[in-house]
Amino acid sequence: MAQSRRHDIAPLLALLPALLIVVFAYAGTMVWTVCISFTDSRLLPVSDFIGLEQYARLFSDARWILSARNLVTFGLLFVGGSLVIGFLLAAFIDQKVRCEDLLRTVFLYPYAISFIVTGLVWQWMMNPSLGIQASVRGMGWTSFTFDWVVQRDMAIYALVIAGVWQSSGLVMALMLAGLRGVDEDLWKAARIEGIPTWRVYMSIVLPLLRPVVVTSVVLLSVAVVKAYDLVVALTNGGPGNATIVPAKFVMDYLFTRQNIGLATAASSVMFVTVLAALAPWLYQEYFKAHRAGGHA
Amino acid sequence: MSKSLWRTLLCGACFALSPLAAEAQEAVPAEVIHWWTSGGEAAAVKVIADRFDAAGGKWVDNAVAGTDNARAAAVNRIVGGNPPAASQFNTGRQFDDLVGQGLLADLSGVAVAEGWAKIIPGPIAAAATRNGKFFAVPINIHGQNWLFYNKDVFAKAGIQDVPTSFDALFAALDKLKAAGVVPIAWGGQAWQEEIVFEAVLLGQGGKDLFLKVFRDHDLEAVHSPRFREAVEVFARMKAYVDPGSPGRAWNDATAMVIAGHAGLQIMGDWAKGEFNAAGMAPGGPKVGCSLMPGKPGYLMGGDVFVFPKLGPGATPTAAQALLAKTMLDPVTQLEFNKRKGSIPVRIDVDTSSMDPCAQVGIAMVRDPANQVPSNYFLLTADTLGAVQDAVTEFWNTPGADAKSFVETFAGVIRSAH
Amino acid sequence: MRAAASAPVPTGTPVARPRRPIAGRVALYAALAVAALFFITPLYIMTVTSLKSMDEIRQGGIFALPASPSLKAWTAAWSEACTGLKCTGISDGFFNSLRILVPSVALSIVLGAVTGYALSHRRIRGGNVLFAALLLGAFMPYQVFIYPLVRLFSAVGIYGSLAGIVLVHVIFGLPVMTLLFRNYYSSLPVDLFKAARVDGAGFWQIFFYVVLPMSTPALVVAAILQITGIWNDFILGLVFAGRDNLPMTVLLNNVVNSSQGEKLYNVNMAATILTALLPLAVYFLSGRWFVRGIAAGGVKG
Repeated sequence: MAQSRRHDIAPLLALLPALLIVVFAYAGTMVWTVCISFTDSRLLPVSDFIGLEQYARLFSDARWILSARNLVTFGLLFVGGSLVIGFLLAAFIDQKVRCEDLLRTVFLYPYAISFIVTGLVWQWMMNPSLGIQASVRGMGWTSFTFDWVVQRDMAIYALVIAGVWQSSGLVMALMLAGLRGVDEDLWKAARIEGIPTWRVYMSIVLPLLRPVVVTSVVLLSVAVVKAYDLVVALTNGGPGNATIVPAKFVMDYLFTRQNIGLATAASSVMFVTVLAALAPWLYQEYFKAHRAGGHA
Repeated sequence: MSKSLWRTLLCGACFALSPLAAEAQEAVPAEVIHWWTSGGEAAAVKVIADRFDAAGGKWVDNAVAGTDNARAAAVNRIVGGNPPAASQFNTGRQFDDLVGQGLLADLSGVAVAEGWAKIIPGPIAAAATRNGKFFAVPINIHGQNWLFYNKDVFAKAGIQDVPTSFDALFAALDKLKAAGVVPIAWGGQAWQEEIVFEAVLLGQGGKDLFLKVFRDHDLEAVHSPRFREAVEVFARMKAYVDPGSPGRAWNDATAMVIAGHAGLQIMGDWAKGEFNAAGMAPGGPKVGCSLMPGKPGYLMGGDVFVFPKLGPGATPTAAQALLAKTMLDPVTQLEFNKRKGSIPVRIDVDTSSMDPCAQVGIAMVRDPANQVPSNYFLLTADTLGAVQDAVTEFWNTPGADAKSFVETFAGVIRSAH
Repeated sequence: MRAAASAPVPTGTPVARPRRPIAGRVALYAALAVAALFFITPLYIMTVTSLKSMDEIRQGGIFALPASPSLKAWTAAWSEACTGLKCTGISDGFFNSLRILVPSVALSIVLGAVTGYALSHRRIRGGNVLFAALLLGAFMPYQVFIYPLVRLFSAVGIYGSLAGIVLVHVIFGLPVMTLLFRNYYSSLPVDLFKAARVDGAGFWQIFFYVVLPMSTPALVVAAILQITGIWNDFILGLVFAGRDNLPMTVLLNNVVNSSQGEKLYNVNMAATILTALLPLAVYFLSGRWFVRGIAAGGVKG
């Protein structure tokens, strides 16, 4: 690594803004958040330290526990659903279908629509007395029932439907791009061998698309952890507290309920959890792979 | 910067010498953050704005939809050192911390000059003062335990009299059910479920029990048979709502009563605006209003404006003082509350021109024995949230039993601040 | 409509697929039709509702076509809907959003490209730590940052200004932008950089004369992601923009989410579509570029 001094300084200079942002906007605010979580702050931050009291309250709060469980349920189904539907759509479109441009646009447009609008529209459609259920019954099928959004046990799945509707188009676009990158010789070989198309997709193409899947999972997971707008617009955490999620829990205490101490404790727990869950994985995906030069 | 500061000082001096002189000065703009964005609300807030402008002020409107959004915007502005001249909160404890950290102007000067303590009902004045000093201007009293009913639907179901006891109420609900309408138009959001719970607790348990539970945080009262009865009455209502109720906004519930799909709605008096807009004024031939049955009491909520400190001193600026004064003058009070659906916060205003439901409310509030402060007055936002959690869980869990609700509720009250 | 061959992506087009039997094609098209129906229904409902009168909406039937279509709700949403005492619709917000969008998108992409470039082929001590910190930042809910950032911004004096909201978007856009460009530049051949360096080009010269001209696919993807994300942002605009710069989404919320008042569903839906129009247009016009950009390595991995 015999580089001139000029080469050493320039990249550092280039990274300076990012460094400042990380130090002040990310690390700084995180430290602040953790500090406040040890205080008795309510509407405004104060410095009466009360130790771990907020954390004790947090973990005895049934609503917080439920929000964590909901996040896992929603996250698995949303990410899984978006991946499966996105992959299927991409595979279908990849069969030299007519109107490809149109179909692709139809599948992708929901991603241009914010979660808050998504929630609003789906709330309307899934409302049993206004939406799909009422319309189908009006057409004569009077026993038709689609009332997930008002059922305690099902409301979380209503969130999944709306979320998958919004996000699977993006996965489709990513996957489609990946499929277009698959070598055509592979298809020729498969045809000569007489392997059924679906098997080629499952056993050969999908493993090749691993980097795309990883990118999709990252983008979708970011949306899961941040899930707030969708929940507020669709169920507002209800019925009862059935669809509370951590981000909404934090927002409730940060603003409506005026307990910054508890809100920052919840944020800190989210941060540590995300850190613990992602650190080894991110390292594996981006750092080791990068060093090995492994980019498909 | 210094020029406008000089002007403010000058204006303040004039104002101190003679209130009339201030009107001759060039108006200082006063930005007001509030969450009154809908048609009827905007008409109401326009009364204050116009009166303030006429008195020599310059109202700068900053409406933010959603109470949370508006409060967040205000708090961020105050904390960020760029506060508005005035900002809306609900009457009660929401601005405790702002007072505690010395961020609000002390309005005692205006309050004493105008004699607020004498003209504002005790619980409201108490909610606007801290240590005897006014830090907020209450501008209205909302009644939260109203029952609005569609008179045609009641007649068709064969209900002659408005229920005055819970037994009569449930008999009426049975008749409505038999008539094939949704008996209660239920708004399925936690805050709505909680105010119905308050209304039932007041009606079934009485003011005494209500205050013991929510003001004194008396655990014995929570475990008393009367509290348990109120919980069971509340739970009985579950059988009279439709499956589409979870998540429903209150105005959508009101629309059900208007359309005749539902018999009645239990809601605060702000619902009057919706009925009025549909040409069915409550107290008129189509829609009736009455307070919740059982023991008497007027469950009071409302709105206040706080005035953040704009300078180093604790006193409000001239513009702020003028705005505070304008908000409570008799004409503003009458005209504002007519449009808002609430009743004036000062009991000395001639209210004979207000609607019949308001008349009932005013008559109630004139007797201090009927004045019941709502949970917004009594609980911190944190505790109120926990109460809402408990109530909405209880309401939305099929077969939830009253006993375990009482336990959960006692836990909330025990940890209340 | 042109068929799949219209997308000449770098590494090959799907020409050599096994031909499926007729039944398979039918099933394929049926599946696609069902999926299209699922995706298009909400847009259909929004559109027909925005063309109905309130009376018609109250009668129910969300799928029914409007009896007498009217654009009244659209003009109301654009220029007449009231928020408090201001009755100027959401049109002001459109222009505010544009004023926020242009500098935010430009700056966040530039910064993302530079950062991604600096992190891609050069071994810089702590570079990976920086990158990891950025990625973790991407996963944190905004709510965690808002409060301290308000304090920080007001200390610097940019709270509630256009500069403030632009900076916030740059801050929160940086992780994904860096990820995107870092991965794209990592996929470029190393020899390219080596050759340039042998020719005596410095860090910035390589960036401007070699790397940037090759960045079109990544730039397209970055632009689309950022335009969508920034345009659809609500919470940051509400908190940081200040009352003179409130973006369209905040005004949409003001129209739609009036806490105590009657709900005009037709105006709400019209306002909703109007707000989504710009990102929708970007997608309709650039959908193919988006896929192509990704295919060229923009987001691949």
